[in-house]
Amino acid sequence: MNIQDNYQKNKKNIFFSDNKDIQSHRDKLINIFETDRFDRKNNESLKNINLKKFIDFKYKYLVSAETSVINNNQDNSYSIVSVNGQCSSFKDDKIEITKILDKDYNDFSKNNTIEKNDHFVNLNSLFLNSGFKIVIKKNNNIKIKISNIVTDDNLTIFQKNNYICEEGSSLNLIEEYENKNNSTSNILNVINLENNSQLNHFLIQDNSSNHNLIITSHSSCKKDSNYTQKVYNFSEGYVRNFHYSELIEANSEADLQGIFFLKDNNTSNNKTFVKHLAEDCKSNQVYKGILNDRSKATYFSNTHVDQVAQKTEGYQLSKGILLSDNASYFSKPELKIYADDVKCSHGSTIGPIDENAIFYLRSRGMSKIAATKILISSFINEELSSIDNEQMSEIIQKKLVRYLSKVK
Amino acid sequence: MNSETLNTLDTYSKNKYKYGFVTDIDNEKPKKGLNEDTIKFISLKKNEPDWMLEWRLKAFSKWKRMKEPKWANLNFPEIDYQDIYYYSAPKGFEKKPKDLSEVDPKLIETYNKLGIPLEEQKVLAGVAVDVVFDSVSVATTYKGELEKLGIIFCSIGEAIQKHPDLIKKYLGSVIPPGDHSFSALNSAVFTDGSFVYIPEGVKCPMELSTYFRINAENTGQFERTLIIADKGSYVSYLEGCTAPKRDDNQLHAANVELIALEDAEIKYSTVQNWYPGDEDGKGGIYNFVTKRGLCAGKNSKISWTQVETGSAITWKYPSCILKGENSIGEFYSVAITNNFQQADTGTKMTHIGKNTKSKIISKGISLGKSQNTYRGEVSFLRKADKARNYTQCDSLLVGNKCGAHTVPYIDSKNNTAVIEHEASTSKINEDQLYYCRQRGLSHEEAVSLIVNGFCKQVLQELPMEFAVEAQKLVSISLEGSVG
Repeated sequence: MNIQDNYQKNKKNIFFSDNKDIQSHRDKLINIFETDRFDRKNNESLKNINLKKFIDFKYKYLVSAETSVINNNQDNSYSIVSVNGQCSSFKDDKIEITKILDKDYNDFSKNNTIEKNDHFVNLNSLFLNSGFKIVIKKNNNIKIKISNIVTDDNLTIFQKNNYICEEGSSLNLIEEYENKNNSTSNILNVINLENNSQLNHFLIQDNSSNHNLIITSHSSCKKDSNYTQKVYNFSEGYVRNFHYSELIEANSEADLQGIFFLKDNNTSNNKTFVKHLAEDCKSNQVYKGILNDRSKATYFSNTHVDQVAQKTEGYQLSKGILLSDNASYFSKPELKIYADDVKCSHGSTIGPIDENAIFYLRSRGMSKIAATKILISSFINEELSSIDNEQMSEIIQKKLVRYLSKVK
Repeated sequence: MNSETLNTLDTYSKNKYKYGFVTDIDNEKPKKGLNEDTIKFISLKKNEPDWMLEWRLKAFSKWKRMKEPKWANLNFPEIDYQDIYYYSAPKGFEKKPKDLSEVDPKLIETYNKLGIPLEEQKVLAGVAVDVVFDSVSVATTYKGELEKLGIIFCSIGEAIQKHPDLIKKYLGSVIPPGDHSFSALNSAVFTDGSFVYIPEGVKCPMELSTYFRINAENTGQFERTLIIADKGSYVSYLEGCTAPKRDDNQLHAANVELIALEDAEIKYSTVQNWYPGDEDGKGGIYNFVTKRGLCAGKNSKISWTQVETGSAITWKYPSCILKGENSIGEFYSVAITNNFQQADTGTKMTHIGKNTKSKIISKGISLGKSQNTYRGEVSFLRKADKARNYTQCDSLLVGNKCGAHTVPYIDSKNNTAVIEHEASTSKINEDQLYYCRQRGLSHEEAVSLIVNGFCKQVLQELPMEFAVEAQKLVSISLEGSVG
């Protein structure tokens, strides 16, 4: 079924389909789908992916009533269960959770950092059927844990979330994606950090092999704000992590990190993009990947420094370990720099586990497998040891052990 | 930025193109535009056999179906292929002069202005020069000496006549005419270029060199160079370019193919100084060059060194296909852009064979309002066991209106291969400047010294004959009055 028909047929349970502005934006998107030649060579979002599967899909969506927000006042923490992308509304003096509004959609559709031909983001805007908005009120220090649950098989969830950290606030956000059913989640997170606010964002992805997860995020940082994102991808199914960050006012920081563990036939596409639009900003992009069996991964990183963004520091690092001779890894660490007083660099390595290190460990009586496992753990040790949340650290260690047990 | 830096920048940008002059020679050319008749005209003029004409026409029919590659970070108006002369030869050149004294004195004068007097160079440098003036080889010196060793060094036109077997076997084997639109265009309309064949076991005793000059206005220059190094041989080839000042943009689409068989080594060095356009970005050469080397045999080696200072647009990716086991590919590049110049240059290393190694060192310097992009691809195919790559690309920005970009593509399909890539971008270090100034150097001298140090890794790879000129060029593009 083509996009147009699919959209018209399911219009009634798609958000904002009666808003004229939004409708005209969507008409443009449909037009992009109909005219685009799906040029895999030049479109980063299409590399290593069977796009047909995602474009010719069968739309199915269910609303569930089991959502919940639990507030634990003692340590300012909240547990949220989001079911099929929906979340119940909630309000107290620290946070406010609501549905997303037409205005949020319109504001975002004007942003041009994300490429026009990123078809997944376009699909998300077209078929939007869920999502919520969380506002952290001024000068509050909050912890939130969100469990993202998908209830049925064959669901197509197109979710758009808005996170707003008001001035001086601080949010520690942990998102879990652990689903076992045969569904597709296409999620777009729009994050706004006001002056002097901070967001530590953890994403733990551990879906089964038939669940597709497409996460795109766009954060914009105002003066003195700080956005840190850490992605841990243990999924056995397809995962796409595309994360964009805009540093729009002076002295803001973005730190985008990720680790992915792939095996079997799995594919993962990753991208980080930091746009420096103001002075004295810092950014850091670090992705590490471990690829086993016939898995494939891509990682695109990009630092864009605008002409006015003097005194910028922008660093990128990409590292990949190939454990099997059928695995493949593609990386494209890009720098686009228009200001002269900057310090920017990128480094990228891909290779096997160091044989000398294996030899060293084996000469001390360790088996080859044990040595390999130790070296994999040490490869990502820096990222794991920097997690200051004990509970998180434990969860990730457990998942790592599970992954390593399959390594031969 | 302090006022001194601004002054220095001003001096840089006002530095006029020293080599901008026009030699007044009657040209004989076909009508403007590209069609089958043009190609037949070229083929007829060059007295080519039928199979060559067929080959050209086939490439032309491919070109008609192709579009220009658009992925480069370049901005330029659409090229009107019908507004270009595809063949331009100084009159009376159907009969080639036997020696230099028969060559038009004006031509010789042109080269003298460039500082490469043929007469002197013959004696002094011991370099055999194959001069391409627009489209026809002017003189090939030192031919006799090379012939004794069995080395063939002549224009490609001559090679088509005299060595059709080699041409048929190798022409288009590394860059197929249908590779992309510029290679198809070149294959259809190429007029001249060099042909080198080094026989088995021969080490070429001298550096072979060609100077290309674009002279006639609105003439696209389409050279085609083919170098074959047979088993166990060695050759070092130099190519230098300077072009006179013009207001109209001129198209230049060259193809260079290198083939290194078992144990052979080819070293290819370029100094490119085409007219870059004036301070307002008017005029200048459009340089769309395809250079590709094939390490076909075991233990073969191809090394590219380039110093790119000219051209309004540079689109150039000297590449290596590392097919033979243990073969080595190297790429050393300095690219300097000033005013409104745009450069998108880099390399492509394709590792196919076992134990293949490649090394990429790229230095980009952007000044004025220019855009300088490094674009490089390193790929390890499934069978490239134990392959190794090291890439380093550094950029230097002078002034806040220019841009420096790095776009590497890294693809590994082999788990025993190791890739390392690093890049950095920065401005000239204030501490270093301060240190130099403190020791009595002027600001310009200090900048020059630091930039020369920045490029040293690449410049030292150039053969002696070129090193002097290259350093001069770096100075001219950078230091204004200095150098």
